[in-house]
Amino acid sequence: MSEPGIDGLRRSLEGVFAALLATCDGEGVPNVSMISQVHYVDPGRVALSYQFFNKTRRNLLATRRAAVQITDPETLAHHRLDLDYEETQTSGPIFESMKAKLAGIASYHGAQDIFRLLGADIFRVRAIEAVPGPVRPLPPDRRSLLAAARRTCEALDGLQDLEELLDGVTGALAREFGIEQSIILMAEGGGDRLYTVATHGYPSGGVGAEVLLGEGVIGVAARENTPIRIGHMTLEYRYGAAVSATARRAGLLCEEARTILFPGLSAPRSQIALPIREGGRVAGVLFAEAETVMRFGYEEEDALALVAGHLGARMALIRQEAEEAEAAAAPAPPPGEGMVTMRYFPHDQSVFLDHDYLIKGVAGAILWRLAREHLATGRTEFTTRELRLDPGLRLPAPADNLDARLVLLRKRLEERRACLRIEKSGRGRFQLLASSRLALQQAGPAEDAV
Amino acid sequence: MPEKPEPAPPAAEPALPPEVVALAQNGAAISMAARDADGRPVVGLGVGCRLRPDGRMRILLSEPANLRLLAAIEAGSALAVTFVSTRAFGAFQVKAGSAARCPASPDDLPELDRQVALASDGLVEIGFNRTQAAGYTAFVAGELTAIELRPERVFLQTPGPGAGTEIAR
Repeated sequence: MSEPGIDGLRRSLEGVFAALLATCDGEGVPNVSMISQVHYVDPGRVALSYQFFNKTRRNLLATRRAAVQITDPETLAHHRLDLDYEETQTSGPIFESMKAKLAGIASYHGAQDIFRLLGADIFRVRAIEAVPGPVRPLPPDRRSLLAAARRTCEALDGLQDLEELLDGVTGALAREFGIEQSIILMAEGGGDRLYTVATHGYPSGGVGAEVLLGEGVIGVAARENTPIRIGHMTLEYRYGAAVSATARRAGLLCEEARTILFPGLSAPRSQIALPIREGGRVAGVLFAEAETVMRFGYEEEDALALVAGHLGARMALIRQEAEEAEAAAAPAPPPGEGMVTMRYFPHDQSVFLDHDYLIKGVAGAILWRLAREHLATGRTEFTTRELRLDPGLRLPAPADNLDARLVLLRKRLEERRACLRIEKSGRGRFQLLASSRLALQQAGPAEDAV
Repeated sequence: MPEKPEPAPPAAEPALPPEVVALAQNGAAISMAARDADGRPVVGLGVGCRLRPDGRMRILLSEPANLRLLAAIEAGSALAVTFVSTRAFGAFQVKAGSAARCPASPDDLPELDRQVALASDGLVEIGFNRTQAAGYTAFVAGELTAIELRPERVFLQTPGPGAGTEIAR
């Protein structure tokens, strides 16, 4: 028998239509079930999730044989794969990818513990059979994703500043891939959350919105350091909802899922989140979504992974260049008009301008530090180097993306039309410009006016 | 295949649970499995189901699309049939030690049309477009054949902690 290849069947492995899985026990009694995931591993292998199907599982271990039927959601062609079980993986990239996708699905339903992946069952594809039947032609005007990825990477190469780079990516996704809604988030170095630094296609900017590690497709992509896609959220939602209802009846779940405030679509049907890596570490997440079903498939995932990889490399290069330029920098002073009270709450490092919330976390601490310095010395010119070396800021790690926090801070000040602005004045240097006089007030056990 | 006509369902034959009867005949997705001569599992897809007065299940399916499954059944394989609701993801699996192949008949068609319309509507309800739903449930009347089986065991198959539980009859 010739070695079959399944690269041409990847659309059928997206899980749009549930696959059919047949096994037999040692006595030849067959079993058939519908499964949501037949995961592409490589041209000769697929993986099935080992989670619920206990009879199937026992059959597989007894006979090591399975058959699946898959359906192409566009041509509606059916194929059957004869599979030989090879092994069960409980760690590694395939397991993590399947586990994360499962966790991403489950996190929308508060069913994380029920949707636990116990293993990725790896199968060699022994034979492929095309099922006779009517097949629809593919539309001829399909976009070349490889060409789109290449043009996007080339566009990023021309951008020398982090903010331009981040906005450049989301713009290129719209232009080259037709992705109208996208978000870039940065990871808190060593922290438990990601924060939004660039958005495209949403009525409200949403910069500063946070996602906890492990929450939704974004949080899971960051935690597991692997791309996560949900391509048919309604179907998978119902699947999750059915399981949750069963689990609740069985007393295994009692709490509703908590919701995240996020500048996303109110009714997304497809989402994809890809880790942006710097030296293997997750520095951020590139996220895109759409109101259409199955917007992001294997091909889009591959193309966007190239873009996210290139973005990570560009970010690292820009930071390296900025750090080199930080060595030379000097201060200078001017003033402002009116009076605004800046209030700082050390417990969560949040900053309010008069009574309006502005920012919290490390970005809040940075602004407070800059404002204190500005008021005490009149300085307006600062360097990223001095912030990096300031032990009072408690930056999470040496590799923490300080530039991204300054982008966040600058955008928040701009969005709020605040009396303060941050402007880049050179490589590794920036200015704090105040259009009003500032009064500083630190909240705490005893309110502290500065 | 019983040769003589049966006047009414005998009391000794336990009826299928009503939820299985309802699901099987109202536009469920029907999948089947058998074992071929090499001992390999084979998978197939059904179009519709009719319950006979004597308790037998009659599954309608495309012959050219299910040649391996039909050959396995004719060689004496046991059969598993799963019915999955396209709307709610409720599911049951029925098992039989054997099944008989029979020709489809013209009187199958009106009922099949009704069930396929329900199945197609169910797919649209959960987010598929009309083209996908119609394509997935499409059949060619001239290519239909039937298999008949007497259900021996019934299992709950809705994904989750209760999957695989045998339903008492």
